[in-house]
Amino acid sequence: MAATAPIFEVKPLRGIDFILQNSPTPQKYLIETMPGGVALLDYNNDGLLDIFFVNGGRIANPLHVPENFDRGNSKYWNRLYRQNPDGSFTDVTQAAGLAVAGNGNYGMGVAVGDYDNDGYPDLYVTSYGRNILYHNNGDGTFTDVTAKAGVAAGGWSVSAGFVDYDNDGHLDLFVTRYMDWDADHNKICGGDWHTYCPPAVFPATTCVLYRNRGDGTFEDISERSGIAAKKGRALGVCFADYDGDGFTDIFVANDGMQQFLFHNNGNGTFTECALESGAGLTSDGKGLSGMGTVFQDYDNDGRPDILVTELPRELYALYHNDGQGSFSYQSLESGLGALTSGSSGWGIGLEDFDNDGWKDLFVAQSHVLDNVERIDASLRYKELPLVALNHHGRFERVESGATSPLAGRGAAFGDINNDGWIDAVVTTLGGPPVLLLNRGGQGNHWLSLTLRGTHSNRDGYGARVQVNGQTRFATSAGSYVCANDKRLHFGLGSSERATIEILWPSGQKQVLNDVRADQFLEVREPER
Amino acid sequence: MLSLFLLAWLAGQGAASAAEQHVRAGLDARNQHQVDVEIAEFRKATELDPQLADAFYNLGAAYMEKRDYGAAIAPLKRTLELSPDLPAAHQLLGYALLAQGYAAEATPHLEKVGAQDALAIAQLETGHLSDAVTNFNAALAKRPNDPDLLYYLGHASGLLSKSAIDALISAHPESARAHEALAENYFVLRQMPQAEKEYQEALRIRPDLPGLHLELGQVYANSAQWPKAEDEFRAEAKLQPGKAEAAYRLGAALLQQGKAQEALAELKRSNGLKTDMPETLYSLGKAGSLTGDAATAEKSWTRVVELEKDTSLAAQAHFGLAGLYRKQGKAPQAQHEMQEFQKLQGTIGPPRSE
Repeated sequence: MAATAPIFEVKPLRGIDFILQNSPTPQKYLIETMPGGVALLDYNNDGLLDIFFVNGGRIANPLHVPENFDRGNSKYWNRLYRQNPDGSFTDVTQAAGLAVAGNGNYGMGVAVGDYDNDGYPDLYVTSYGRNILYHNNGDGTFTDVTAKAGVAAGGWSVSAGFVDYDNDGHLDLFVTRYMDWDADHNKICGGDWHTYCPPAVFPATTCVLYRNRGDGTFEDISERSGIAAKKGRALGVCFADYDGDGFTDIFVANDGMQQFLFHNNGNGTFTECALESGAGLTSDGKGLSGMGTVFQDYDNDGRPDILVTELPRELYALYHNDGQGSFSYQSLESGLGALTSGSSGWGIGLEDFDNDGWKDLFVAQSHVLDNVERIDASLRYKELPLVALNHHGRFERVESGATSPLAGRGAAFGDINNDGWIDAVVTTLGGPPVLLLNRGGQGNHWLSLTLRGTHSNRDGYGARVQVNGQTRFATSAGSYVCANDKRLHFGLGSSERATIEILWPSGQKQVLNDVRADQFLEVREPER
Repeated sequence: MLSLFLLAWLAGQGAASAAEQHVRAGLDARNQHQVDVEIAEFRKATELDPQLADAFYNLGAAYMEKRDYGAAIAPLKRTLELSPDLPAAHQLLGYALLAQGYAAEATPHLEKVGAQDALAIAQLETGHLSDAVTNFNAALAKRPNDPDLLYYLGHASGLLSKSAIDALISAHPESARAHEALAENYFVLRQMPQAEKEYQEALRIRPDLPGLHLELGQVYANSAQWPKAEDEFRAEAKLQPGKAEAAYRLGAALLQQGKAQEALAELKRSNGLKTDMPETLYSLGKAGSLTGDAATAEKSWTRVVELEKDTSLAAQAHFGLAGLYRKQGKAPQAQHEMQEFQKLQGTIGPPRSE
């Protein structure tokens, strides 16, 4: 049965004064409606989750290329907030060396990963413009190493994620790019209504895959790997090994078209196979307005499934992994049809919010058009987040705890107050972020794992972790333009002990028996 | 005196003869598609013999040929003064007047010759909508699928419908039918809250009026309020158990909510009430697929493909079959269906999301 009390309550983020400056203009530049990211990370390894927000920028009306977006102005900075022991936050942006977002970069998203295996999480910020890789120096500061690393990308990047696609122990970097767009070629759609144009109005483009050479530099292997063979309108990205061949695959949420599933061939190349595997279109053979996405196992069958958020009149897509490399569209069977057909979804998470052993659904929602209500009175620009509990593979809506509709975009998930219950942070266009703190306290047990790779990448990204019949694929990527707490959270229901089985990217298998519940546990990959 | 009369008669004979010569020259020019020469010749003929109806008629016809309808009116009118029963002149004058916006004046001429298509347009223009619809239908019986006639028929029917609805709303503003009519207008304008309100009011007044629940259900379906849509479609299906559309819509609403077994039953019922409806069959295939009834899914989608051949619905059925066969491990069949899907995508374009 669905819980009656809201899972979350909206709590003030004490010490956080960030406002996502998307700077909407009458010109309806498409970039205005697409930011912005949030990352939950422990940048200083003090055991407390810190928060990094990506800001948009100032948009002149009209805008002319090249535009600097006024990123030197503190109003338009990205922001890093350090969590204090009392749960409040302190703005450490300037001290951390993150104040300079780079003029000409209108911010979009963020990825988190320890690309140099030094034990400190690094930041990769995507933009319309030039992306920035910030190396975490381990002393509370970051250094822009983009030029040295060679990962600026260019164009319009949106989401990104660190992934060790070749299992060499070094995190590589995948970047989605939306379309070939610039202000000089902007169009206004909707006739008298003046709306943002649908994506098909602008040319498609390619995603970027950077291989980590392990020496602090990256190599653009988009062409060689086959990633650039497909042009799309990519927004979200998520990773998991869907066919159990030991190599992490890549799912890309494309807007207004077929989705991409890049199967990792294990030899440095990928084959796009979404259509053939059943994860490319709806069950009616229609394209999707794919925005956010997550690649985790929702029905505890051990195989990662794919969820994609979309626009109203479509359903959030759920591609069930049937095994044998095949997916089936199960939005209707899972209950998503009734929950999502009137909503627009962006950031998405599959997390066990009630610790009952089944991953639940959270979606930050809001229509892409800020004037949609004038065009279609049955739709709303601002929406409440969707929270749906998972009852053995079927989702049922519960109250989110948010009382005011939001122009939600990014959503990141993690245990912010370390109480064993997963929380959510949502970014809102033109507004402050919203913390939805899990009320918890329903008696269920939990386990939170931090992976420490030795042969594998230090974050353990790409590991398949099974706990009491549940499976998670280690990653901080997924959602939309966001990075989640990298710790792997498992709800254990009434179980007070757990068995942990880890398949590391290196191929090592590790089993931990009779593990006590209700703890944060670091698991180190065994030395060979 | 006599000689004077003779001279005058001879002169008249000469003029008539000369006029006829110009008429003949004009007809020659017509054969050679020299419309300006044609006009000049016929005009000369009318000047030489103002009583020569043939010359005036041909001059009018030449202007019509040149699409100079305004110039055609005067010679055609003169033709009918000289020869009031000439059907061809009535027809051309009717067309010319209609083209110039004189629909009322055109009507008697068009009536006289039974030119149903043009007459219907004139009647449409003058607000005689019922007569216009009758004549458009008669004209369409002779020229089925004529795009202009179909357009005009649709337009006239719409206006006729609006006129009747206006009369209804004016005469019986608080009737269920008036609220239903208002609701339909709001629905078309996508003003769903207003449409919902009007349908509910209509239902309050006449809860058993057939069609109301169905329409209200579609308001809810349009705004993705599926449980409410289901309630309304169910009420309609109860009210009209023999109505295939009610069963289909109820099945589709159930399907949207993942109530696949119930949807399957309802869609089967709809298919039984009215067989070979492609949309019903397509949804039935989906319900079959969702419930694990692969036989129903395969049979329904295969039938859709047979019925629709190369439409977007056929493409969707191919896509459904591909998924079904893939799940069953029938790789060659799945591949074939996917190829058919992609082939249709190539010709009709990719299916777009709604």
